[in-house]
Amino acid sequence: MKPVPKLSSAFLHAACDCMPEPLLALRKQRASALVDMPLPTRKTENWKYSAKYLKLSDDMAISLPADGKTGTSLAVPGYKVVFLNGVMIPEASEFPDLDGITIESFRDLNNDDATALSKKLGGTLDHDQAQFARLNGARFEDGLLIRLKPGAVLDQPLFIIHETHGDASGSAYPRVYVEAGANSQMTLVEEYTSGGEAPVLVGTVTEFDVADGANITSIRLNMEGENVQHIGATGVLQARSSRFESHCVGFGGPLRRHDLQVRLEGEGAETKLNGVVVTQGKQHYDNHTAIDHVAAHCNSEETYRNIAADKSHAVFNGRIHIHQDAQKSNADMNNKNLLLNSGAEIDTKPELEIYADDVKCAHGATIGQLDETSLFYLVSRGIGRRDANVLLTMAFINELVAQIPVEAVRETAQTRLNEFFDKTFEEA
Amino acid sequence: MLSIKNLHASVEDKEILKGINLEIKAGEVHAIMGPNGSGKSTLSQVLAGNEAFEVTSGEVTLNGENLLDLETEERAREGIFLAFQYPVEIPGVSNLQFLRTAVNAMRQHRGEEEMNAAEFMKLAREVSKQVDLDPSFLKRGVNEGFSGGEKKRNEILQALLLQPKLAILDETDSGLDIDALKVVSDGVNALRSEDRAILMVTHYQRLLNHIVPDYVHVLAGGRIIKSGGRELALELEEKGYGWLGIKDEEDAGN
Repeated sequence: MKPVPKLSSAFLHAACDCMPEPLLALRKQRASALVDMPLPTRKTENWKYSAKYLKLSDDMAISLPADGKTGTSLAVPGYKVVFLNGVMIPEASEFPDLDGITIESFRDLNNDDATALSKKLGGTLDHDQAQFARLNGARFEDGLLIRLKPGAVLDQPLFIIHETHGDASGSAYPRVYVEAGANSQMTLVEEYTSGGEAPVLVGTVTEFDVADGANITSIRLNMEGENVQHIGATGVLQARSSRFESHCVGFGGPLRRHDLQVRLEGEGAETKLNGVVVTQGKQHYDNHTAIDHVAAHCNSEETYRNIAADKSHAVFNGRIHIHQDAQKSNADMNNKNLLLNSGAEIDTKPELEIYADDVKCAHGATIGQLDETSLFYLVSRGIGRRDANVLLTMAFINELVAQIPVEAVRETAQTRLNEFFDKTFEEA
Repeated sequence: MLSIKNLHASVEDKEILKGINLEIKAGEVHAIMGPNGSGKSTLSQVLAGNEAFEVTSGEVTLNGENLLDLETEERAREGIFLAFQYPVEIPGVSNLQFLRTAVNAMRQHRGEEEMNAAEFMKLAREVSKQVDLDPSFLKRGVNEGFSGGEKKRNEILQALLLQPKLAILDETDSGLDIDALKVVSDGVNALRSEDRAILMVTHYQRLLNHIVPDYVHVLAGGRIIKSGGRELALELEEKGYGWLGIKDEEDAGN
């Protein structure tokens, strides 16, 4: 039997000690727990389909320097924070002083705030499922803390542009913590982009602590390049009568993994998770979602669509756990998949664990190809094959793209989707 | 305009069309009648280019050009239009987007400029009214949740927008109540012109009260066994298909 591969000790050392002491202490503690962390293999249940895409080397353990120039002079329709290789770049960021809302780099926190944060960081996540969040916990060198006081409303979306520049091999560990006070509201857009060509690892963690009655929208757009292995985790804790809405749009890469974990801890909480993934060439994308209905009277609605072309591989694993006290839970999970070529692969798995007896829980998963009858109907009206293919493929995800509540993000997503179509469907 | 010579076609190795011969000239309206299973729909599908059907021999030309060499979309651009017996529902593609893409594909083929969204919207609204379809249907998914009658009207709407040379109507009357039949027939009659031909495929003759054909053909067992004028349809109505010594599977079943 082959020995289980372990995370190289090279990955345990953070490069810079430029955060307040309580966060450094936390990081050190997390690093010690990472020693000899087993790496996932195909026998690891939650990495079964994806372990083969994980290719770590010691030179990727080095922290990527955050001193290069950012490619993002891009205007965004809202407030903007730019992270380069996991470190906030204040010169590239633009947001005003806002009433009841603070947006700060971890590096700028005073000791009290850093102490308070160190007690919460990681608390939204089940690290046994999102193993690589531990690596982020041991390696983050900065992060963004967003605090909304009770009743505070962010009037425009906040964009966080996470850029990774891989001019040489290395890794980056962006981290975001959102503390949404009672009845507060905000829309957070996270865009992951990259430059350079050296193989790099990006290990992200984003957390939302959503208090009573708060209403938070999270949009995540993953558009990194072919040199980036991306392993991200998002954790959400929802208190009474809160609402959380997530829109993830992901484009494939050599390794893409996103764990999204939502815990409905207060009665009447509501969550809506939408996801779109497209992969082509030999790309990969793996979405693992987990919704925990802990309290009674909560609603969850999840809709994910995967489209895999060429020889690419998409994975969806949707877990719903309804705890014993979570009576009157209403959970609806739906995953549809479209295979555009016979060489493509999609694996989908619903996992339901229900311990309460008075619940509604629906789930459905399908895998199919473009419908020949629909295609014939379109071309019989003079529409070319390529356009007909694009119309039908887009129809598969239209509804989800249309629901993204920020127009600029819809446009960015559409532009990238059009590039995907151009590569996938050649003009006949 | 359309010339079919000794056309044989099969589906999954079963021969359905066993030697069809038919000549249709511009300006003419032809009706093909026949019992269920006679090959009526197969003929429509083969003309439109459905690859599920294999043409094993014979020849079809449209204005002298070999139709069978053309892809489905090329046939459409050359002027073939098939109104489907069962129009397809395509959720996620709006009717408007579908229609505009089709019209612009045709315009591009003819070397004309594409219509912009506003121009097209205006045109589509006008034509919707002509087939008594509320313009709100333009914003819905293609045929999504449309009733049978609404789907058929949407087919005629497409024919009016695309202005084909040869419109093939496959059982366009099926599932229509008398009011919808009138609307659809008016739409088809609006299509009649000197440079356009219409081929109607139908089981019953009631459609022919509204759209009066120049010629009627009876298709049975994959062949046209009788041709005549309008009066042939009336005779069939009176005497049934049994009169011609053929069995109507549907009638037999009932």
